[in-house]
Amino acid sequence: MADTEIDLLRSSLDLLVLKALSWGPMHGYGISEWIEDATSSLLLLEEGTLYPALHRLERRGWLTSEWGVSDNNRRAKFYRLTTAGRARFRAQAPLWHRHAEAIAVALRRRSVQPS
Amino acid sequence: MTLAPGWRRLLRLKLGARSIERDVDDELAFHLAMREEKLRRLGLAPAAARARAQDRFGDKVAIRNECLTIDRHYAREVRLMEWLHSVRSDFQYALRMFRRMPTLTAVATITLALGIGATTAMFTLVNSILLRPLPYPESDRIVRVIQSYPEIGLDTWGLNQMNIAQYRDRSTDFASFAGIRGGSVTVQGPEGPQRLSILLVTSDFFRVIGVGPAMGRPFTAEEDSPGNNTVIILSHGTWQSRFGGDRSILGTSIDIDGQPVQVVGVMPASFAFPRSEIGAYMPMGLDPLRRFGFTNSGIARLKPGITPEHAERQTTAIMWDWSREQNVADGAIDPSRTRMKTIVRPLHVAITGASARPLTVLLAAVTLILLIATANVATLLSGRATARQREITLRTALGASRKRVLRQLLTESVALALLGAVLGVALAILAVRFFTHSSLATLPRIDAVAVDGRVLAFTLAVSVASGLLFGLLPAIHAGRTQLASGLMAGQRESARGGSRKANNALVVAQLSLSVVLLIAAGLVLKSFQQLTQVDLGFQPEGVTSIELPLPQRIATAAAATNTFVNATLSRVRAIPGVQTAALTSALPMGGNSDMDGYLIEGRPVPQSGNEDQTYRVAVSPDYFKTLGIPLQYGRDFATSDDSTSLAVAIADATFANRYWKGADAIGKRVRTGGDTTWYTIIGVAGTVRDGDPALPPEPHLYYSVPQVGGNPLSLVMRTNGPSASVIAAARSAVAEVERAIPLDDVKTLSSIIDQTFATRRLTKILLGGFALLALLLAVVGIYGVMSLHVANRRREFAIRLAIGAEPRALVRLVLREGALLAGLGVAIGIAGAIAVTRFLASLLYDVSPTDPAVLLALPLLLAAVALTASYVPARRAAKSDPLSALRAD
Repeated sequence: MADTEIDLLRSSLDLLVLKALSWGPMHGYGISEWIEDATSSLLLLEEGTLYPALHRLERRGWLTSEWGVSDNNRRAKFYRLTTAGRARFRAQAPLWHRHAEAIAVALRRRSVQPS
Repeated sequence: MTLAPGWRRLLRLKLGARSIERDVDDELAFHLAMREEKLRRLGLAPAAARARAQDRFGDKVAIRNECLTIDRHYAREVRLMEWLHSVRSDFQYALRMFRRMPTLTAVATITLALGIGATTAMFTLVNSILLRPLPYPESDRIVRVIQSYPEIGLDTWGLNQMNIAQYRDRSTDFASFAGIRGGSVTVQGPEGPQRLSILLVTSDFFRVIGVGPAMGRPFTAEEDSPGNNTVIILSHGTWQSRFGGDRSILGTSIDIDGQPVQVVGVMPASFAFPRSEIGAYMPMGLDPLRRFGFTNSGIARLKPGITPEHAERQTTAIMWDWSREQNVADGAIDPSRTRMKTIVRPLHVAITGASARPLTVLLAAVTLILLIATANVATLLSGRATARQREITLRTALGASRKRVLRQLLTESVALALLGAVLGVALAILAVRFFTHSSLATLPRIDAVAVDGRVLAFTLAVSVASGLLFGLLPAIHAGRTQLASGLMAGQRESARGGSRKANNALVVAQLSLSVVLLIAAGLVLKSFQQLTQVDLGFQPEGVTSIELPLPQRIATAAAATNTFVNATLSRVRAIPGVQTAALTSALPMGGNSDMDGYLIEGRPVPQSGNEDQTYRVAVSPDYFKTLGIPLQYGRDFATSDDSTSLAVAIADATFANRYWKGADAIGKRVRTGGDTTWYTIIGVAGTVRDGDPALPPEPHLYYSVPQVGGNPLSLVMRTNGPSASVIAAARSAVAEVERAIPLDDVKTLSSIIDQTFATRRLTKILLGGFALLALLLAVVGIYGVMSLHVANRRREFAIRLAIGAEPRALVRLVLREGALLAGLGVAIGIAGAIAVTRFLASLLYDVSPTDPAVLLALPLLLAAVALTASYVPARRAAKSDPLSALRAD
């Protein structure tokens, strides 16, 4: 994978994690299920890559984590959005929309002429 | 699902590295287990489900490592943040404490500022002069080359021009080698004649130093030979001040000593070598066969990896080879049996070497002062620590760990030290600025003295160390305090026992350090006194000199010189207020005395280059009378001793007594240097010191100016009273005789002598000042401690008075304690001084490092002052009012 592709994936993954957690605290597995479901299995090709992303986001102060008990009574590490993380999500989401829109429009163009 | 916010982070920080690993492993295992379970629910066999889950997960090892790296960084950041946060709150707490005790804080800050300021100022000098490299490219490879021939009385002497050519051409250790010699020339210009200090160099000089002209070109090899050397490179300063920074000066000719000389370059503004006073550089006009005039030095750039020692062996071998070649004919002594050798030293050492010892001694002295100041503040703080006992005990009781309380106390003392450091650096900057602009600033590289990053780093380190040091004593004491004792008021006295012992130790330490400093200063002071009492052989008071650089047409023609001498002297002697006047080619200690080898008629001729050496000075009649040098035998020069009459000389007693006794010298004949004329000795003058008075006197031969010439000459006059008007009259008298002589170099002979003593005077004044400061701090220290003791024992004294003790007995009680401390401090101090003063030996003259008078008198003085300082609190003890003292608690 080229570096730019990794960057693109990484920032989109970060954004998806923030989105997933905006519903409430979740453990890593739950987040991976949510992303799989929400993106029709398109984005998370290797589930493991989710974890460095989670730890990185925690280090940047956008998430906190606590150990708790999962629905099936196992010990699991739960992530929760911090105030800073929520703000980050609110700032990033529209940006991403604009980018995606712009790229989509560009890719749909059928002519070299400026319109 | 329960999440208690925050607790997990704290727990993880406590658990450390192993828990980070376990956390990551658990988390990843949970994911795999969940995935496997789901796949099984979808119908996969257990083994297949596990394989599939792992497959979907990706490279588990890599992911685990990535998570671990992130978490470890994170944990470190969190720890650092929490630490910084607690330090900040400790500092804020410290500042609140300072505000609550403004007097104590002020006294401690000022004490520390004095110590830190003095240390910073001294380190600024040491750093700028001794530690910073010289401002030339790869300056560590530049060396100075001179020679030594102890057998003929020359421990250090210069190179002749033949040496320069040989070392330049034959040595393989040098990337480049140049000869240099100081000089001065007269520049004629629209504003009249002006004197310019110049450096005469060979053309490789700019390659050695690694800096070339900013404008124009360096000298060429052709310009090295005599006759082709009529070119000059100006310093930036001369170019600015004398030629208004005019670029068109390049290529034009200016009048130097009556000759047209072409300006070929201007050096950069930042360039100064060897001193900033040098106004221009000229080729010396090297004559590779000239063997007289050992007045040059060599400077060279070593090839990479070559040591000065190696170059010294090589140049010495070159010199010996030459010496053997010369002496083949007469089967001479083997030069390798002599101690004749070259001296090759790093240029930095050559320039600053002589100040290294005084500067290090002074730095050591201020370090002692800082220690005394530190001890002083420790005493102050321990007094306060006693007062704070209850607060600390309370904090401990509320759950603060001993370590935490210690850190809080140390933070306070470091904060205090930093306050002192801020004030101290300000003091140091002022002191350094004042010093470098004062007449004391005679050290080499003084222009480069400045506070830089290294100085500030040094100050920071020293302050923090001092803060930790003075914080540690009271802090340890506080940390040791038992929980209960502080809360029970009645037991406070016992808690104070420990701090009292600590304080006594501190006072003894301060006193003994002051004793060491006082003794060191006393020894240096006494040496200086001895030195200034050395009989110089002449009376400098009341003698003024004006340098007279003669135009070539006068200096090179014997008849013209004779006319000039007679005309000038007869006019100057006629000036009212002038007792006597004379001319000389060199003033004693003036630094421009000429040294040369000599032969005595009828005595075996030593090998060429192995002649004994003597100073040679050309003087006019009345020179001895003007300087107050006694003429022991024979007669003075007379106006009739000119180029047409018998060549005559006067020896000084040191010279004469080498070979003869008393008047026997008269009538003997000598000759010096390359001169072929024999000079008949007509008189014997008293010995004169012409260098460092700490060294034995050197022999002198005096000649008559009209017979040997001399340029520049100095007019010396002994005058009655203040001489400003006399000087003005003398200048116009000289100008009447010859207009082209610049007359701006006027000095008193006393000021020239002062120059000789400059570094010693500097050491004396600074060391003396430091010793006084130390004395002051130590006295404040003992006063503070005795006051504290008296205050702490107020109840005891009150009770004693109440049950009928004599007030005088109480005074005696306190004084006895003070005397004990003073006696102990003095005894330890004397022992310490004996241990360290031998490092002073090279700064001392005619004083033993264990001089009994200094070793006993100064400590006694200190003990007396210390006793006086404890008398005031003793009186206070005797005046304790029983009622108020008992009611106080």
